[in-house]
Amino acid sequence: MSDPILRLEGVHKSFGPAHIIRGVDLEVRRGERHAVIGPNGAGKSTLFHLCSGEFAPSSGRILLDGQEIGGMKPAEVNCRGLARSFQITNIFPGISVFENLRLAVMRKHGLQFTFWRRVSRLDNVTQEVEGLIERLRLGHRAHTLASQLSYSEQRSLEIGMTLASDPKVILLDEPMAGMSQEETEYTVGLIREIAEDRTLLIVEHDMSVVFSLADRISVLVYGEMIATGTPKEIRENPQVKEAYLGEEVAA
Amino acid sequence: MKLRPFLILLAVMVLLAIPWLVSSSMLNAAIQMLIAALFAMAFSLLCGQAGMLSFGHAAYFGLGAFATVHAMNAFNGEGLLPTPLLPLAGAAVGLVSGVVAGYFSTKRTGVYFAMITLALAELLHALAPHLKGTFGGEAGISSFRMPAWGFGFGTAIEVYYLTLFWVLLAIGLLYLLMLTPLGRLALGLRENQRRLRFLGYNVHALGTLIFAISAMFSGLAGALQSLNIEAANYAELETHVSTVVLLNSFIGGVRVFLGPAIGAALMTFFGHVTSDVTRVWLLYQGIIFVLVMMFLPRGIVGELVERFSGKRPAGEGIRLSEMLPRLAGIAVAALGGVVLIELLQRVMSRDYRALAAGGQWPEITMMGLSWQPGSPLTWLVPLSALALGLALVLGVNRRAAARREATA
Repeated sequence: MSDPILRLEGVHKSFGPAHIIRGVDLEVRRGERHAVIGPNGAGKSTLFHLCSGEFAPSSGRILLDGQEIGGMKPAEVNCRGLARSFQITNIFPGISVFENLRLAVMRKHGLQFTFWRRVSRLDNVTQEVEGLIERLRLGHRAHTLASQLSYSEQRSLEIGMTLASDPKVILLDEPMAGMSQEETEYTVGLIREIAEDRTLLIVEHDMSVVFSLADRISVLVYGEMIATGTPKEIRENPQVKEAYLGEEVAA
Repeated sequence: MKLRPFLILLAVMVLLAIPWLVSSSMLNAAIQMLIAALFAMAFSLLCGQAGMLSFGHAAYFGLGAFATVHAMNAFNGEGLLPTPLLPLAGAAVGLVSGVVAGYFSTKRTGVYFAMITLALAELLHALAPHLKGTFGGEAGISSFRMPAWGFGFGTAIEVYYLTLFWVLLAIGLLYLLMLTPLGRLALGLRENQRRLRFLGYNVHALGTLIFAISAMFSGLAGALQSLNIEAANYAELETHVSTVVLLNSFIGGVRVFLGPAIGAALMTFFGHVTSDVTRVWLLYQGIIFVLVMMFLPRGIVGELVERFSGKRPAGEGIRLSEMLPRLAGIAVAALGGVVLIELLQRVMSRDYRALAAGGQWPEITMMGLSWQPGSPLTWLVPLSALALGLALVLGVNRRAAARREATA
């Protein structure tokens, strides 16, 4: 249980003179639900970009299951079992929901340059997509263009596409942003369910979600990890209170 | 959906019957239409399905054409392959050149991609005159169709059926391609390359492959052109060729499967008919393109599919009471516009200006009538037809908008 599936060692990231990530060490244990919180501009999204291959770290190491992934291309990182969702919805707007999820599912089945098989005859792909659509509660929208979904439906689709490759580690970047109370509750349930046999790293601003969902929480402030611990420990950590949570937790 | 196979069958039967239905000059036009249709379909795989706008498809069309002529001339004119299989040579060269060009150009997207394709095509165009052995210089390279498999290939009818076979086969393959995982991923390339990358796909390799397939079918179209005219010419590498396939595809509609083919066939037919009648037929083609892009941005076929697929909200169907006056208005305005353009073309032609400089303003005979350039009536009649037609269309549109407002 305690061996880390994702480990960051002394990771730095600068954009020119801007030093965004200033030496982050983080261990995400296999199977845990780990949340990263921190004030706006702390570098949470940059951290995700580094882990998922969007950016290469300026220095330091990022290890997935003991293998260095820092500096790899996004596709390579994905193929090693780490998938992510995006804070700003990142889907295929001009094709149907079904088609969106099918593109996401196909990769896992080794389908990429395949031009000799009809995609509609790939029954296992179709079944998986249909299962996923049901789980996302998008059944009635399967043949709607993704661009015509409501905002929260697009967020669900975003999560669904992240899940589709059946990754070992999932990075969710503010999955609940812009959702209503009811949608948030459903999505928390969904995330709980999908995280059952996987590792989850999540950035979220909704503190009630973070504290109920996460096994452990890390606090990132100005590019530095100031604390990591269970929700209870974080709640009681004086440094965290001062730096970030303040009245929110006290209240 | 039962309608679709029936329509396809009907279209194929009409295409098969064409040699009995039309004159020999029209049969030649039909061959050109088929080739243009295939070229547009190949172009639109890249541009419409995969969202990569190429400005340099003349290169792959031209390379396919030259490869085929060389294949025809191989072994002292015996031919590398039997005549019916020669298009494979064009397709193969198209594929190989497409892999190379695609590798470089798909490293970038959008405008940069378009610029690289343009630059590569211009590079070839600039290089070709210096490679006389390969591209034949100013004169190009000519060849001769050898008889094969009991066919002489000396008549237009035989060439028509050979072209038809390859075009239908290629379009069929392009259709099947869209049903495969690779074809679906082409849509993903168009919609969101970044997301595709994060789903674990090799976006660059996918783009290169789609580019190469598009170039392969373009090369096949070039090959059919060479077989048809028994020659390949330096002019086939010109930017003009890249532009025409782009305009044709957009006029038909790049996002609907057969849109580009129908657009290209229509515009080639239009060119064939009008180039005999008027010197400014290219101007008309340009005007048609601008009008289609302004008022039917999905293309002619795209717009028709949209109207009849029932995707539109209720109450927006076709109303004859609006459509007929609209069409009448367009016809009157078009007539006025054409008369004006033709009159201007004649008045501004070099011969006429020479006469006019001498103080003479002779009357112009056109459409079986004589027109006095000095008389205001000559200009007022077509101008008022243009204005009247446009007023009619605008009036109908305004009424339709008011009705929609009322029912909404």
